[in-house]
Amino acid sequence: MFPILHIGPLAVQMPGLFLLVGIWVGLTLAGKRAVAYGFKSDSLDNLAITALVAFILGGRIIFVLTNLAIFRNKPLDIFSLNLDLFHPTGGVLAGLLAGFAYGRSKALPLWPMLDALTPFFATMMVALGLSHFASGAAFGRETSMPWGIDWNGAVRHPSQVYESAAALFILGLVLGRKTTAPEGVVFLEFTAWSAGARLFLEAFRGDSTLVFGSLRLDQVIAWIVLASALLVLEMRRNSKPVEVSEHG
Amino acid sequence: MQQTSRRRALYATLLLMGALWIFLSADKTGASTNGRIPAPQEGFLAPDFSLTTMSGETYSLSALRGNVVVVNLWASWCLPCRAEMPAIQRVYEKYKDAGLVVLAVNSTSQDNTASVDAFITELGLTFPVVMDYDGKVANLYRLSALPTTFFIGRDGVIRKVTPGGPMSEASLQATIQALLAEEAR
Repeated sequence: MFPILHIGPLAVQMPGLFLLVGIWVGLTLAGKRAVAYGFKSDSLDNLAITALVAFILGGRIIFVLTNLAIFRNKPLDIFSLNLDLFHPTGGVLAGLLAGFAYGRSKALPLWPMLDALTPFFATMMVALGLSHFASGAAFGRETSMPWGIDWNGAVRHPSQVYESAAALFILGLVLGRKTTAPEGVVFLEFTAWSAGARLFLEAFRGDSTLVFGSLRLDQVIAWIVLASALLVLEMRRNSKPVEVSEHG
Repeated sequence: MQQTSRRRALYATLLLMGALWIFLSADKTGASTNGRIPAPQEGFLAPDFSLTTMSGETYSLSALRGNVVVVNLWASWCLPCRAEMPAIQRVYEKYKDAGLVVLAVNSTSQDNTASVDAFITELGLTFPVVMDYDGKVANLYRLSALPTTFFIGRDGVIRKVTPGGPMSEASLQATIQALLAEEAR
């Protein structure tokens, strides 16, 4: 709703700025948590940077591969600064794979690493909510509630505010969690809370993708994620806590 | 032990309530507000306007329904606008017979007709350049950066907004090809 902030001659794209700040704050918070878990702080930074680079390059490369005919005439556009030349799913997959491969090569234990990274994930959810608020995307459905906001020709649920507030609450829970929790529990609880929040709040959105006639796709996905997270949580609840100062 | 079973019961209840919520909040009217309300945003009906070219031809957006329409808001003094125009021109030449319409809306309230005229001649633009003399389209489309480009599907719904530029030819082609491939709803 305020996509561009003008500072003198500069036009700052707010949605992107929120995400950048989110990456920075999130990695800082995760770095602290990683040290508390006994990781060297640079092993987490390296993992994050490896994943980020793979995300950016992977997204662009897969976009180019899926649009080869276009780039055959204009090969230099492969290096264009246009951010929309990007395959989001491909980028995420490439980032995950690279992060996983990096962790493997450094023999980083999976669950403690995920626990240490959870503050980063939780911060990114807040940043995503704020970036939706800035761009006006992920908008709400019409409402007669007094706190509705006038946006795009109707009084709507401020769905981006709900989303950001829920993410902030979950970030608080994550940061408040003691590091003595069994391995994986912090990450799985975060996943369950986030999926639960999405499942509940998606109902107030006005732009859902529908499946099976009228069900909201994201709610169905969130339910499956919630169920899986609770199941794995139950399986891992009795595992040992993260052992401090052991891993590289 | 008792704690475990109580927790599992809680999880099961949560999941059951979640499933119930999915059905309760299902949108019976068939999605969202998509395409029914005009707003200058992805997923909304492109707000209608009527503007004329310098030579007096009038173009209304609503009359172009059925085509893929690219609305590019620009000014002659804006460097990224100048930088992306040749790519828009090439893509227009390539796809105009397939149903692509380019409507270049000059933000005339912050420009002057002599410069616009020189700009069109210099770059050899063949698509219609319409003049937004009083800035009403700039307002209607909440213009906050030049250039800003709106990609509108055959159904009149905005499918993508690109604030700022310059856009590369590849970016334009990828978006337009995908929109042209869609059937009008």
